[in-house]
Amino acid sequence: MVEEVRKLLQDILQKIQGLHCILITDRDGVPLLKVGTDKAPENALRPNFISTFGLAIDQGSKLGLGKTGTLICSYAQYQVIQMNKLPLIVTFITSDTCNTGHILALQNQINPIISTLTLAVAES
Amino acid sequence: MEKHLNRVMEEITNQPGVYGCVLSDHQGLCLGAHGQASTESSGVITALAEQALKLEPKSVMPIISLENDNRQLIIRRHGVLTCGIYKSVCN
Repeated sequence: MVEEVRKLLQDILQKIQGLHCILITDRDGVPLLKVGTDKAPENALRPNFISTFGLAIDQGSKLGLGKTGTLICSYAQYQVIQMNKLPLIVTFITSDTCNTGHILALQNQINPIISTLTLAVAES
Repeated sequence: MEKHLNRVMEEITNQPGVYGCVLSDHQGLCLGAHGQASTESSGVITALAEQALKLEPKSVMPIISLENDNRQLIIRRHGVLTCGIYKSVCN
């Protein structure tokens, strides 16, 4: 199953220009699945960076806008787009010029993968 | 702030046959959608415009038309703005 999911993510990675890495982690930032190129910055893949998303969505929920769904961090050279699929977090690392809207539109495409992985995580 | 943008989109949607329009910025983020257009399509529409431009990079921005039996999507990029217009086609 993991190989199928990996292949699907690899396909997505190749289709979108500027997308460096797709990372599926648990809420602590521990990677479950990683697909990426060598262009992805090492520091952004660290669990202590990924897990700050959990803190950010907790703060975000205080805004009174409902559950935080997506977080986009735009840096000088990279963009980090994280999606709230708790208990999982999906992180996309892209170049600064990458089409953010296209990444957000991937949400529907990755939802079935996430449900499968969530089930697998729950069982183990 | 977006009053003017909304008015333009309304104007577009009021044209005969047009049932929706979506506007997005250079990063594919949705600026607005009117009628039966989905905000989620903005990213893909911008990506299509970008890819189409690569076919002939030296030419002016192309107009992309995707058509099926009864509907048509016209995509046009102007500067940092990309506009997608959904139209019904009568055969």
